[in-house]
Amino acid sequence: MANNINKIDELFANYKKAGKTAFIPFISIGDPDIKTSFDIAKALISNGADMIELGYPFSDPMADGKVIQKSYERALKNRVTMADAFNFVARLRQISEIPVIFFTYYNPIFAYRTSEFADSASAAGIDGVLVVDLPPEESFELKQFIDKKNIDQIFLLAPTSDISRIKLITSYAKGFVYYVSVTGVTGARRSLPAEMRSKVEEIKNIKDIPVGIGFGISSPEQAEEIKNYADAIIIGSKIIQFIENNLNDKNNIIKSISEFSYGIKSSLM
Amino acid sequence: MKYPDSKGHFGEYGGRYISETLMPAILELEEFYKKIKNDKEFKDELRHYLRNYAGRPTPLYYASRLSKLYDSNIYLKREDLNHTGSHKLNNTLGQALLAVKMGKKRIIAETGAGQHGVATATVCALFDIECEIFMGVKDIERQKQNVLRMEVLGAKVTPVNAGSSTLKDAMNEAIRDWITNVRTTYYMIGTAAGMHPYPELVRDFQSVIGKEVLKELKLIDKFPDVLIACIGGGSNAIGLFHPFLKYKEIKMYGVEAGGLGLETGKHAASISGGKPGVLHGNKTYLLQDEDGRIKEAHSIAAGLDYPGVGPEHSFYADKKRIIYDTVTDKEAIEAFKLLCRLEGIIPAIESSHAIAYLDKIKNEIKGKTVIVNLSGRGDKDMETISGYMSENKIV
Repeated sequence: MANNINKIDELFANYKKAGKTAFIPFISIGDPDIKTSFDIAKALISNGADMIELGYPFSDPMADGKVIQKSYERALKNRVTMADAFNFVARLRQISEIPVIFFTYYNPIFAYRTSEFADSASAAGIDGVLVVDLPPEESFELKQFIDKKNIDQIFLLAPTSDISRIKLITSYAKGFVYYVSVTGVTGARRSLPAEMRSKVEEIKNIKDIPVGIGFGISSPEQAEEIKNYADAIIIGSKIIQFIENNLNDKNNIIKSISEFSYGIKSSLM
Repeated sequence: MKYPDSKGHFGEYGGRYISETLMPAILELEEFYKKIKNDKEFKDELRHYLRNYAGRPTPLYYASRLSKLYDSNIYLKREDLNHTGSHKLNNTLGQALLAVKMGKKRIIAETGAGQHGVATATVCALFDIECEIFMGVKDIERQKQNVLRMEVLGAKVTPVNAGSSTLKDAMNEAIRDWITNVRTTYYMIGTAAGMHPYPELVRDFQSVIGKEVLKELKLIDKFPDVLIACIGGGSNAIGLFHPFLKYKEIKMYGVEAGGLGLETGKHAASISGGKPGVLHGNKTYLLQDEDGRIKEAHSIAAGLDYPGVGPEHSFYADKKRIIYDTVTDKEAIEAFKLLCRLEGIIPAIESSHAIAYLDKIKNEIKGKTVIVNLSGRGDKDMETISGYMSENKIV
């Protein structure tokens, strides 16, 4: 297993040849409940998702805006555990080969024990891990274990990152670099900073690595613009907003997210 | 070996577990602080404000009636007499001078009891800096006086209604604001916790407490056997303890908030009742469930009501250099009353935890010289005290 090519790397290699930009939706495991979140994942996959980012809910999501905070709160009420999350991914693996990125804060991983997390994540079929409060400086304690399992550790870059940070992070990065489009927390925004494009170019000048853009993206129009220079777009809050708006109507959650996903994918074609 | 190390670790604790967006700001602060901390002009300026504005040095008061009760020599370090009523101003004066020199135009802070919020609002007025304080709605309710104080000082107090609506949630919100406004804003952490370099710089600014005690004892030709301080995040405690750590023979006690009792799960004793984890930028002892979610803390003292503790305390707890133990809400209230009646000093409920610990080690301190850090005054706590007394039918 450890010698296989990582699915994330494989996808970006193929998309680069084809000149395509990947769509990576984000959802929280267990929001609004485990079953529905699994159905949402399935709906996203059949409506254009190229990878999927699964958020593991944490009690104190310091880098997240209101929408994802509330999503985590709903999931936490359902008492989602790490075992549930691995089970979720393993079931997803039975129906799809799509690359799975596991997104969380460090404490739940640390509490599970970092080495055991790497074993279980690999067994479940997780391809990448993004820990939002684990900058390169503190990343070794996780990296030493997931490297052995051929799981990519995804790192963030931000508008505040200067050239020395870009150099440092691209030297650590695997899979792709997640560029945070705005100086701020997660959440849909109507307009995005103009500096985004030049920043992505700056990163690519330093290292030829795929760059995904997330935080703030919410519309097909934005996606269509970004596809000209980025390798992936990541959308979270906008999708989760559909859950929040339809808490009493699960069919409508699936329907609205499917339509949205299809619209984003179409704009990237 | 000096702690923290160059990467901000105290052994396995501390560090910089934060979002990449904040890393440049943290590195800038670290570099700036490194350059300025031994700069003579900076030190003189800070000394000037500590002396002429804050009213330092604070007295080391021999509490004769309390000493008689415990048959020992008990000295109270009177941080309650510091301007704004607690030790918090020592830190905010230092950090505000840093922020001014870094050219920051806006300061944000979190507050629990409101003491750090007031101390932050105070220095922002003094140095003419825009100020926003994040405070849990539960704390706003129980510390109304301090909210008013912040507002008259010109600060904007932003209520935080998330999670337990106390200090940890206020800190989450402050960090979110900082992520958003990091280019212009200075984040003024109120305790010796959070991401490096905060635990180090807050400790350094609070160490004025211990340094003064050393001098004050020298004047009367005494040396302490025991030091006691209460622990929330632990800034008053590390401020007292740090200059004494090299004297191996001195025993030090950090008193955590035992709330309704450790066995009830309703407490704020991160070291005595928690385990190591990562929150708010540092690895340290935390109250958490088995899935690594942070638990709500409970203490009658809003300033101790936090599910974590500064990383340097976690480090010395494991090394057993400092002993950490707990005092319940009830014991703290008893000590509060005791100090009022015996010495004519109304202590903060936070500081009352340290006073209460005297009784727990009364056999050990017989004939010994004991320093208790009286970290703040209790004027802010009158409503809480009267509420507690009527709820528990105490007259």
